[in-house]
Amino acid sequence: MKEEKLEKLLNELAEKTTEIVRPGLAEEIKDNIPRPLCHHRRGMDTISIIIDLRINKLAAAAAIIITMILLANLLDGRAPTGEGIYQDGKMLVKYFLGDTAEKNIVAVRSRYERLLQKGEDVVYYSDSIDAQDSDAVLMHWKLSDGKYNVIFADFREKVVTAEQLIQLQAQMLQKKTEK
Amino acid sequence: MEKRLDWLAARLKDGNRAAATELVGIYYQQIYLFMRRLGHSRQVSEDLTQESFLQAWRHIGQLRSGKALNSWLYRIATNTSKLYWRRHKADKQVDMEIFDVPDTDESEGDKIGSLEQLGQLRNIVAKLPIKFRQAVVLHYMQHLTITEAAEALGIRKGTFKSRLNRALKALRRQFTIRKE
Repeated sequence: MKEEKLEKLLNELAEKTTEIVRPGLAEEIKDNIPRPLCHHRRGMDTISIIIDLRINKLAAAAAIIITMILLANLLDGRAPTGEGIYQDGKMLVKYFLGDTAEKNIVAVRSRYERLLQKGEDVVYYSDSIDAQDSDAVLMHWKLSDGKYNVIFADFREKVVTAEQLIQLQAQMLQKKTEK
Repeated sequence: MEKRLDWLAARLKDGNRAAATELVGIYYQQIYLFMRRLGHSRQVSEDLTQESFLQAWRHIGQLRSGKALNSWLYRIATNTSKLYWRRHKADKQVDMEIFDVPDTDESEGDKIGSLEQLGQLRNIVAKLPIKFRQAVVLHYMQHLTITEAAEALGIRKGTFKSRLNRALKALRRQFTIRKE
């Protein structure tokens, strides 16, 4: 088909697809004209920025959470360049990308930081324990009744007395010296 | 006409409400039909026409002159439609009906043939990628000049011309395939 013929057909299509507009539409639009019709001063015009960003759901979730932590930290008065944000971000990325054991470690570590921030009497043993020893104490903190909440290397949680805690720590030390 | 539009644009920039009413009177049908030709349903087209004018009032400071009135308003309408499609990806396009306008020079057979052709063309236009469809609708159906249509889409004149050419090529190709 020749270009002129196609152009003619397109013009014809425009003529034959004309539709009667609902009579009240113009009045409705006119009713919505703001009073007074504001105009922006020179240099004050607004612009619309539309960003169509396509990333996977996991990355989007991580980005949202990191942003929330960043904002929370800023509102909390912590410096935006502080170690806290960096550590939290690293921890979250690890959490999303790591396996179950790593995720549990990250969760315990995060709990430790929260307790620490609250000013609790908390001890975290981190890498100094033997991960294979299920009775090894990974973290403990003092409860209000004088007892201790303990998280073991296999992520069990138990409330123990001060004596029991000393006993557990002694066992850990003994196993370490034996090795 | 150009002087009238200049005068209208100047009053709009001054925040004159009567000028805004005049603008609605001149353009509301055009913008509604533009929305329909882009594949929106009647109800959505009405909503988008209203939204386009609301956006126009908000961005009245960006209007340069009467000469730019057409492209300024169509640019707002194009963006309003684009935003709608982006937010309602699941919405299907709604084709417009083709009305048989009486033409004494055409025989009954020619008329049926022509209506069939137009129906085919309408379906092919509807299936064009959105950028091509906008170009075809703006230039051939809303009768904007190349410069105005390019400004309405926020692209250069040359880019618009090449987009329109590619759209016409695609239309021609599809039309030939269907005829065969």
